[in-house]
Amino acid sequence: MQETLQTLVGGLSLGAVYALVAMGFSLVYRTMGLVNFAHADIAMIGAYAASTFYLTSKLPFAVAMLVAIVVTGAIGLVIERVLRPLENKDFDLMLIGTIGFGIVLQAVAILIWGTTGRAVPSPVRAAPLDLFGVRVRTYDLLVMGVAALAVIGLAWFLARTKRGAAMQAVAMDHEAATAVGIDVGRSNALAFSIGAGLAALAGGLVGPMLYVDASLGGALGIKGFAAAMLGGFGSIPGAVVGGLAIGVLDSYAAGHFQGYSVLVTFLVFTVAIMIRPTGVFGERTVSRA
Amino acid sequence: MKLRIGSLGALAVALWILPYGLGSYSIHVVNIAVIYALLAIGMGLAMGVSGQINLAQVAFFGVGAYTLAILTTHSGYGFWAAAVLALLATTATGLLVGIPALRMQSHYLGIVTLGLALGFINWITNASISGGADGISGIPLPTLPGIDLSSEYLYYYLELVVCALGLGFGLFVVRTSLGRRLRAMRDDSLAAGAMGAEIPLLRMTAFVLAGLYGGLAGVLYAGLIRYVAPETFSIANMFILLAMVIIGGRRSLVGCVVGAVGLTLIREWLSDFSTYAQLGYGVVVVLMVVFAPTGLAGIPSRALEFVRRRGGRAVNRAELRPFQPYEPVTALESSSLDEPLLEIRSVTKDFRGLRALDDVSLTVAAGEIRGIVGPNGSGKTTLFNVISGFYRASSGKVRFAGRDTTTTRPYTLSLLGLARTFQNLRLFRQLTVRENILVALDRTRTHTVWQYALWQPGVIRRERRLRRQAQKLLERFGLTDFADAAPGSLPYGIQRRIEIARAMATQPRLLLLDEPAAGLNGEEVQQLADIVRSIRDRGTTVVLIEHNMGLVMSLCERVTVLSSGGVIAEGTPAEVVAAPAVIEAYLGDSAMADVPLPGPGPNPDPGPNPGSDPDPTSAPASKEATR
Amino acid sequence: MRKIPAPRTETAATLTVEDLSVHYGGVCAVRSIGFSVEPGASVGIIGANGAGKTSTLKVLMGLVPRSGGRVTLGERDLTRVRARDMVRHGIGYVPEGRHVFPGLSVEKNLLLGAYARRWDDETRATLEEVHQLFPMLREMSGRLAGALSGGQQQMLAIGRALMARPRLLLLDEPSMGLSPKLVGFILDTLQRLREEGLSLLLVEQNAKLTFGATSHCLVMENGTVAMTGTSEELSQDTRVRQIYLGL
Repeated sequence: MQETLQTLVGGLSLGAVYALVAMGFSLVYRTMGLVNFAHADIAMIGAYAASTFYLTSKLPFAVAMLVAIVVTGAIGLVIERVLRPLENKDFDLMLIGTIGFGIVLQAVAILIWGTTGRAVPSPVRAAPLDLFGVRVRTYDLLVMGVAALAVIGLAWFLARTKRGAAMQAVAMDHEAATAVGIDVGRSNALAFSIGAGLAALAGGLVGPMLYVDASLGGALGIKGFAAAMLGGFGSIPGAVVGGLAIGVLDSYAAGHFQGYSVLVTFLVFTVAIMIRPTGVFGERTVSRA
Repeated sequence: MKLRIGSLGALAVALWILPYGLGSYSIHVVNIAVIYALLAIGMGLAMGVSGQINLAQVAFFGVGAYTLAILTTHSGYGFWAAAVLALLATTATGLLVGIPALRMQSHYLGIVTLGLALGFINWITNASISGGADGISGIPLPTLPGIDLSSEYLYYYLELVVCALGLGFGLFVVRTSLGRRLRAMRDDSLAAGAMGAEIPLLRMTAFVLAGLYGGLAGVLYAGLIRYVAPETFSIANMFILLAMVIIGGRRSLVGCVVGAVGLTLIREWLSDFSTYAQLGYGVVVVLMVVFAPTGLAGIPSRALEFVRRRGGRAVNRAELRPFQPYEPVTALESSSLDEPLLEIRSVTKDFRGLRALDDVSLTVAAGEIRGIVGPNGSGKTTLFNVISGFYRASSGKVRFAGRDTTTTRPYTLSLLGLARTFQNLRLFRQLTVRENILVALDRTRTHTVWQYALWQPGVIRRERRLRRQAQKLLERFGLTDFADAAPGSLPYGIQRRIEIARAMATQPRLLLLDEPAAGLNGEEVQQLADIVRSIRDRGTTVVLIEHNMGLVMSLCERVTVLSSGGVIAEGTPAEVVAAPAVIEAYLGDSAMADVPLPGPGPNPDPGPNPGSDPDPTSAPASKEATR
Repeated sequence: MRKIPAPRTETAATLTVEDLSVHYGGVCAVRSIGFSVEPGASVGIIGANGAGKTSTLKVLMGLVPRSGGRVTLGERDLTRVRARDMVRHGIGYVPEGRHVFPGLSVEKNLLLGAYARRWDDETRATLEEVHQLFPMLREMSGRLAGALSGGQQQMLAIGRALMARPRLLLLDEPSMGLSPKLVGFILDTLQRLREEGLSLLLVEQNAKLTFGATSHCLVMENGTVAMTGTSEELSQDTRVRQIYLGL
């Protein structure tokens, strides 16, 4: 029982990070219908940038994180602008274009930060807490807290602000959105940069939990993807549920199947998604002849 | 043609003498390049030709190499026996990875295949049987009588032969029946289904092909390096492979080969600057996607197009020739007399609370031309989608040709003799007009693909027969001048006619036309009317949705009027336009029904009137009135 | 950002359309048509399906590319104005099939109608006016627009367009799929708005309804204007019916 709880808690903190990645995916997918394969590499850049500003520039962790979010947000704007001609035209090509950007970002990361990678010390030095016999690292709590704040923040932005409402309107009906005066291109660019910022947040937070190197994006990204799909692509609550589910599944698989955890995670994921391709909160789309 | 054979010969000779000019390291690089070329062909077949996003190609590669390594080092198999088993294993893996494609497409498929590839990498780095991160060394040398394959120079010739055969087989597939169907599925899977292509089987076939080529590459790789380790099959290499295919041109297998060989060589050449090189590929992929989506292989034709447009000398002598009517069939099929060809019994279709069809019943006798009219949103196209198997009725029954087809899939219906056109034209855009017709003419089931493996002459013979039939059909519809054009480049009226020709290529008993006159000018509408009459006279029953009331009045024996998802009137055209409910639906005013109709007058319609018309007194409107 | 003054404070202006054409690929959907809508007037465009009515409205809004012609509103040339700026020039658009934002609440839909304006007290006042016109929208404020019935969505779409305080309202088939009683209510509402100075351009398949709600009408056929006249005259003309039923 205690062991199960320990696994659960371990999974939840990583799951919170996956949820952040998935939320970024979902936001971009929902507004633009684009699956951003470079998202994972944006998260990796975010992790590097945050760790650099934190370790090298000696900025406080929170400030370093903010700077990293701004930097990656700008990268997001560039990607959106370059791929804009393909929007609403060729879905698969756009997908491959984002993979191209992913390759570029990985190369850029190696050029700037080299191939060795780095370990980021936890910014929180407090001793682990003991809750009913379960050891919880304080940093894990911080991660979950920040992730929760981000979820609330995004939900607030979408539900309560004019721009947030406009962004959703664009996603639902871009022609009607244009008719009420919304600049669809600008709205999409904003969505993309928010998505990138969320990726950076995830990357920055995961830095002290995992080893930061150029392959970090791959691991984080594919699980974020899986989380988004499991929850239902395009749904914000789905991203959260999916992220936590993948996190827990991951930590459970790591505990029981050791080295084969990735294999087990993806096999379970594939089966789950075959049974319900639309995910937990996904909408059924009707294909029209 | 001569030039082509000549340059092919020159290329073959150049490839044959290539090793004489290379050092031992260079030939190693070339050998690796050829292996990547095979991988890229497999990738091109799945992604470019079949439109199945496949990010598991490195896993197929790995399954091939590892199976061979394990069987030879652990189980003591000989190289070639292990190679055959390795190919079987990758084919099976292809089937397995292909299963998700039955349920999802596009980005979903990309993520799932990538996830499975990651799972595979995870397994080989951890399992003891695969040697973990150290990999497996000591794979035995493949032996061929008289040839010492330990020499990389001689191994090159082995690879060259395999790769040439692989490319040849790939091109054979692409250009014949199977490849045409795969490409049709890529362009428009709904329309391909409606033309009789079994989409699920075709998707699996695409993955099996990708797996086969991946396995072949894996076997050759294991024989060349005689050592396998996880880093060869990494996701980074997967993306490089993707870059090769995109840069070379995913739709052209030759382009894939060029991209693979070129990028491998460049990668080797820039190995001291590998990160910059990687940056370069990434940038090139992005630029390609935005500016040259067809890759290097597509550049010549795009350049040609550009020059032609700039030159402005439109020497377009092509013209749409007149339609040559079918031979009328005098006696209709006897079976059609006992039972109507199409029967719809109280069909209802709901979309999440919205009722698109409400208790619609409709019977169409064989040999009829039936019109279906109604205001926008009255459910006409939904009805077609239910009949042709795209939608499943929420309740009610559909019977076609004497059997219950309520839940039958579109491709089965097509094989049963149902064909349709689409309101917004769904031609296969990347296929030529001739190929569009060929896809529909091909009535064989997909399981005949075994012929590709075992009896190629059968494929060729069938191909010849289909091409002859296609030529005849193109002539009949006056389309010979456009046979090799891309449909998208042709005027709208011609595209409409191509769609009808394509539907007729399936030899249907029932043809559903969804707004065939939309966007046509007056003359074209007249030609359309003649075509539809001739189609009926050859024994095909026609049901058409149409807004051009003039056409409906002159063409149809009976008209069914839908409004808000229900049938509000049915009868001869004259009866229907006089029905107050119809005028109410169209004009919103039943009082206007009092306005006198132009009198029907004596019936000048010379068209044959089959006995199916229950009301011989009905008078289709005269030509003068239809303008 | 540019601020364009609230439209209704400006002097009323006439919409003039000259020689307007639309092509989709090879098809000519609209062939050099021309007409004008005077301030406070109500003009209808009727015709059978596929006659080019919807294309005419869309090209006016800049939603589909124009292949020729000119559109002016008073002194101002709207020919090159982008679709998203039309609302800032006082043109409201109610698309065919309503096109409300299904996943947003009724209130959000309405507020987004005023996207081009600042959300302030004046917006609240406009919202209040719209609620008075369509009391149902107040009751349903918190509901998702996608969950409304067709008629309710139609009222929402009109309400949303009104939130921008347009001078000219373009309506595409507002009667589609609605009960006659509801259509009557909507038309009465539009009539009231017209009395307050709003101009209307109404595209409809339903001819009788259009004749009742407009002063002038155009009958379109195959992308061209087949007939024009006062609604009174046209309602007596047998040719209208022939055009519709293809006789």
